[in-house]
Amino acid sequence: MRAFVRGIRAAVLLAALAALTGGCAATIKPWDRDLMAQKQMSFIPIPMERAIDDHVYFSKEGSTGGSGIAGGGCGCN
Amino acid sequence: MQLEAAPRGSRLRTRLGAAACLLLASSAAHAQAPDSTANTLEASTLLYGENKRTNVLEPAARFTHLFGGGQILSAELGLDVMTGATPTGARASNQVQTVTSASGSTSTSGTEIPTAHFKDARGVFDLGLQTPLGRLLRAEAGAHVSREKDYRSLGGTARLSADLFQRLVTVSAGGGYDDDGVFPVGGTPEGLTIDRGVVRYDVQPKRVETATVGISRILTRRWMVSLDASRTRERGYLTEPYKIVTIVTSEEGIPVATVTEKRPATRVRRSLLGSSVYHLEKDILYLTYRYYWDDWGLRSHTADARYRIELPAETFLQPHVRFYTQSAADLFTFGLRDDQPLPPYASSDQRLGPLRSVTLGATVGFRVPSQPGRFTLRAEWIHQWGRVGTAGGIQSGPPVDLFPPLEIGTLVAGYSVGF
Repeated sequence: MRAFVRGIRAAVLLAALAALTGGCAATIKPWDRDLMAQKQMSFIPIPMERAIDDHVYFSKEGSTGGSGIAGGGCGCN
Repeated sequence: MQLEAAPRGSRLRTRLGAAACLLLASSAAHAQAPDSTANTLEASTLLYGENKRTNVLEPAARFTHLFGGGQILSAELGLDVMTGATPTGARASNQVQTVTSASGSTSTSGTEIPTAHFKDARGVFDLGLQTPLGRLLRAEAGAHVSREKDYRSLGGTARLSADLFQRLVTVSAGGGYDDDGVFPVGGTPEGLTIDRGVVRYDVQPKRVETATVGISRILTRRWMVSLDASRTRERGYLTEPYKIVTIVTSEEGIPVATVTEKRPATRVRRSLLGSSVYHLEKDILYLTYRYYWDDWGLRSHTADARYRIELPAETFLQPHVRFYTQSAADLFTFGLRDDQPLPPYASSDQRLGPLRSVTLGATVGFRVPSQPGRFTLRAEWIHQWGRVGTAGGIQSGPPVDLFPPLEIGTLVAGYSVGF
């Protein structure tokens, strides 16, 4: 069962990577990137707010991790 | 491939003007660059309150400087002040239970979860540096130090990012290392003992190693996505020194004693995070999903959605909803039976239990006329509840709620100004 779950996980990961890198020959011209230049077009548009969220949920749940590195050092969990 | 109808007139000029900047700035993974000014000062304060439990006040300030060569230096200073009560791990019952902690004794009556009062403060200092390495590479490094009454941490991080395929794709890899120390008030108790066993007074080491890889991609003019994977290995003292586990009678489930909890000395955590940012006509939709699993048997799913609504006068409103569910860790128990031998590890810390939570909230961002800078205000409500009966606990005994729901309210005020 565990091997099956691992297989599914690997397949999903590979499919996602293929989707992310596939069709890279296609391009978006510089003048079509005006929206991407906005500060709010970011995966973490308000970093300090996200840091607060990470701290709150780290202290109340059993999970951690995501795009950040390390936990920032806290004895709260 | 032409993704949009050809621009015309002033729209074309606007886009070409933006393109000149974007050739240098735009990539699939935005660096957290400050505004166009060389210096940015950000400040935030968190007010956190649980019903009948913990209260936290957390002010923080962050200064960012953009150098002429594209380097970005940031420094952040934060303070947490925590007071209130926290669950001890003891099982609720119909009997009065008294808990002695470093801050005094607490009696819990009725069917409430036993708690212990505490008071602590934590100071943290972060330093970060981003620097471009040529046209397509970017390096980041960071360091932090934090200290509280019974915990200290010193750590560093590094990450390298590369833009590929005409900056449509960004790949990154990084790592971090924390060298932490635990020194509980009253000493470190021995695990799974009734009278705290042989108490040690030296610092218990805890080391955290993290590795991450990520890939992000601009799919269209309006849409970008990313996938991040992380692996964290913790070694050392991972037990909560103040938490206890109740021993109950095998038939009635009545508490007869408590023992200190004990956790393994290693933990390997893994997570996969998928993110999407989509720009609608004016508004922006942020979506993330994270799957987490570790070798303690805990699995979790987290889904998060934010919707930024642009309003006139540089104001925005951003509703937020988050769902979280986790399975119990293998060592989690609602109580140990008095007719069975002690397991090698056991914890009744509800954060390792079968819990779910939902978050609802909203952020409003605005400018004050004739004042520099931007303000944000955020209010959120978190409802967390357990799923008793799905973990290896004892279900008999008095009719008490072993995992009562927890209500949390948070308020965050933020201010950002460039100069």
